[in-house]
Amino acid sequence: MVDPSALAADPKGLIAVGAGLAVGLAGIGAGLGEQAIGAAAVGAMAEDEKFFGKGLLMTVIPESIVIFGLVVALILLFVF
Amino acid sequence: MLKPTKMTRVIIAGTKELIEPTISTFHRLNVLHITDYSEEGRDFKIGKPLKPASKLSEYLLSLRAISNQLGVLGKETSLKQSSKELPSQIDEKITKLQKEVSSHFDELRSIEFKIKEKEDLASAVKPFFGLPLSLEVYAGYETVKAYTGFIDADIEPELSKITSNYELFTGESEKRKIFALFIPVAYEAPVQKLLQDERSYVELKVPALKGNPPVIFDELTKEISVLKEKHASIKSELDIIKKEYSEFITAADEYLSIETQKAEAPLRFATSPNAFIIDGWIPSRKYDEIEKELQESTGGLAYLTKVEEEVEEEEIPIELENPTLAKPFELLINTFATPKYKEIDPSILIFITFPLFYAIMLGDVGYGMLVAALAVVIKNKFKTGGLNALALILFLSAVLSVILGVVYGEFFGFPLFNVEVKGEMEHGLLGIAGPAIAGIHIPVHRFESVQSLLLITLIIGIIHILLGLILGFRNITIEHGLKHAIYEKGSWMMILLGGIAAIARLMPALMSKLPVQSNDPVFTGGIVLAVIGVILLIKGEGFISIMEIPTLLSNILSYARILAIGLSSAGIALAVNTLSMKLFIKPDGVLLGGGIGLALVGVLILFIGHLINLLLGILGPGLHSLRLQYVEFFTKFYEGGGTKYVPFGYNRKYTEE
Repeated sequence: MVDPSALAADPKGLIAVGAGLAVGLAGIGAGLGEQAIGAAAVGAMAEDEKFFGKGLLMTVIPESIVIFGLVVALILLFVF
Repeated sequence: MLKPTKMTRVIIAGTKELIEPTISTFHRLNVLHITDYSEEGRDFKIGKPLKPASKLSEYLLSLRAISNQLGVLGKETSLKQSSKELPSQIDEKITKLQKEVSSHFDELRSIEFKIKEKEDLASAVKPFFGLPLSLEVYAGYETVKAYTGFIDADIEPELSKITSNYELFTGESEKRKIFALFIPVAYEAPVQKLLQDERSYVELKVPALKGNPPVIFDELTKEISVLKEKHASIKSELDIIKKEYSEFITAADEYLSIETQKAEAPLRFATSPNAFIIDGWIPSRKYDEIEKELQESTGGLAYLTKVEEEVEEEEIPIELENPTLAKPFELLINTFATPKYKEIDPSILIFITFPLFYAIMLGDVGYGMLVAALAVVIKNKFKTGGLNALALILFLSAVLSVILGVVYGEFFGFPLFNVEVKGEMEHGLLGIAGPAIAGIHIPVHRFESVQSLLLITLIIGIIHILLGLILGFRNITIEHGLKHAIYEKGSWMMILLGGIAAIARLMPALMSKLPVQSNDPVFTGGIVLAVIGVILLIKGEGFISIMEIPTLLSNILSYARILAIGLSSAGIALAVNTLSMKLFIKPDGVLLGGGIGLALVGVLILFIGHLINLLLGILGPGLHSLRLQYVEFFTKFYEGGGTKYVPFGYNRKYTEE
């Protein structure tokens, strides 16, 4: 059992755990999104190399989610 | 700069006799982008290739076949062959080459076949080493049947149940038991069954040869080695041919390609029985020069004129025009899409922002210098093409990274200057405190100033996106007029600026948990501006466009990656350094405190760690910097869809006129 008074005394550890979860879970989410898009983009590129630019663009769109996670993590760490 | 080269549409017309000098002139000038004639009219039809076309392509075909067989690779030499002498040699040399090369290759193939045959025989003879019989005794009987093969079990007890009239030889070959069994034909059926029931039985065919197996085998090996020698000598003969002719082959290939291109050019013209018309585009500034050249070569008989008629924007060929240093960045534009004629060509902007973003991310003196060195190596290896452009982009980015590395005070993750981190003094490699430039105290330690760096990256993002919207405003104004531009791009600018003003006041208030001052003019002004923007947006693009508004926020937050990639790169470097220094090279602060073995492990960790980080440092910042251009910046203004300018002509490498 965690002693509640210890938590109340120093919430820093929990904030750090929260920040880690924010980045890590967001990363997993982005990865799941990117896998299907990446596979399709590579398929399109195999047919026509001109798709490289657009394929890259589509593939990295879900990456923004990680950035959101990162921003949340930074706010957690530095603001609270 | 910012705009593609100005193009003029031209029509060239003349009588059929002039078609050859006209083609030659334009091919030499290498400026005319031909619009293919495709509508077959009543008077004008698609032209027919010039007479030598089929002969030329025949030569080209056989030359390429020869060059493929010999494996000739084009190498640029300073010695260029004159294309005046080539035609007289081509017929003779190609015929000769074809005969020699094909006869050599035929011989090679027949020798290879023979070698294979002998090798098969040799491997078939080999198992019979284990039996004391000559090969001819296995066959040729009328009343005796012979069985040969591998077998693991002893078949003699079973065999004697069938008949006692047999002869069995056994031996060992390649660690397996081999046998030869002779029986009268009368017992064939039961013996066959006996053998088939024995699982380990593998039949061996006796090769149709005469003599003692080891003797035959020796003979075969000798024959094979003779054949192999012959094979090698033919190969070396071919190498001599290749050495002798490779220059001719590359030069002739180029000459024939050029001549075929010229001979087939009429396929793109409109022709009548006595005349031809070429429709195409040239850079406007070259018009006078082209007019003069054409006059000289046709005696003023071919007719060249400008056409002022309006055409579809997509049809105008695009040649991007930029200063030398920004030229490589056209690669990034063309990878995305070729711009349309009236669109802004953003190469020069990317020339600034791409290396800048890259450098803010990488920002390390050591890595920057290594990447710059790598770029120089690539650039020297590939003189032309995409990789050369890429190397230049990388070089510019790396140089800027070194500068940013000084600002961050990082050298392979080690501090460059003395700096105080979390109350502790870190000793830098230079052993001095950093200077202060323009009020900013160097070094700006990345882990210590995350908040301010985050703010800076977001400001960069806002500026970048605003720039994109301004370019979009300009593009739409040109294409559809000011009203549309205000609805489509002006509204977004208002939302962006108004939203920022409001958030700039809102955030500090939220964080300090104080109420927002509702009479603050910046806050209210911002809200009002944003609301006007939203109204304009709905009016211009419909109610559904409200769904798009959050993407503006995500676009700006996306620039936080500039900080994030940098932190992760610096973090890996720091981790590698700490691990190798504190654990192996300098345990407890003593150099080589753990012995030379541990120090070596430390060096290994240092090397591998930094190598991985360097590779990530090229890939990560490169891709993310590009992504910020493509996704956040280009989507604000760039449409693309133009035709690339492909002039009719050839860049000679191996021949000269």
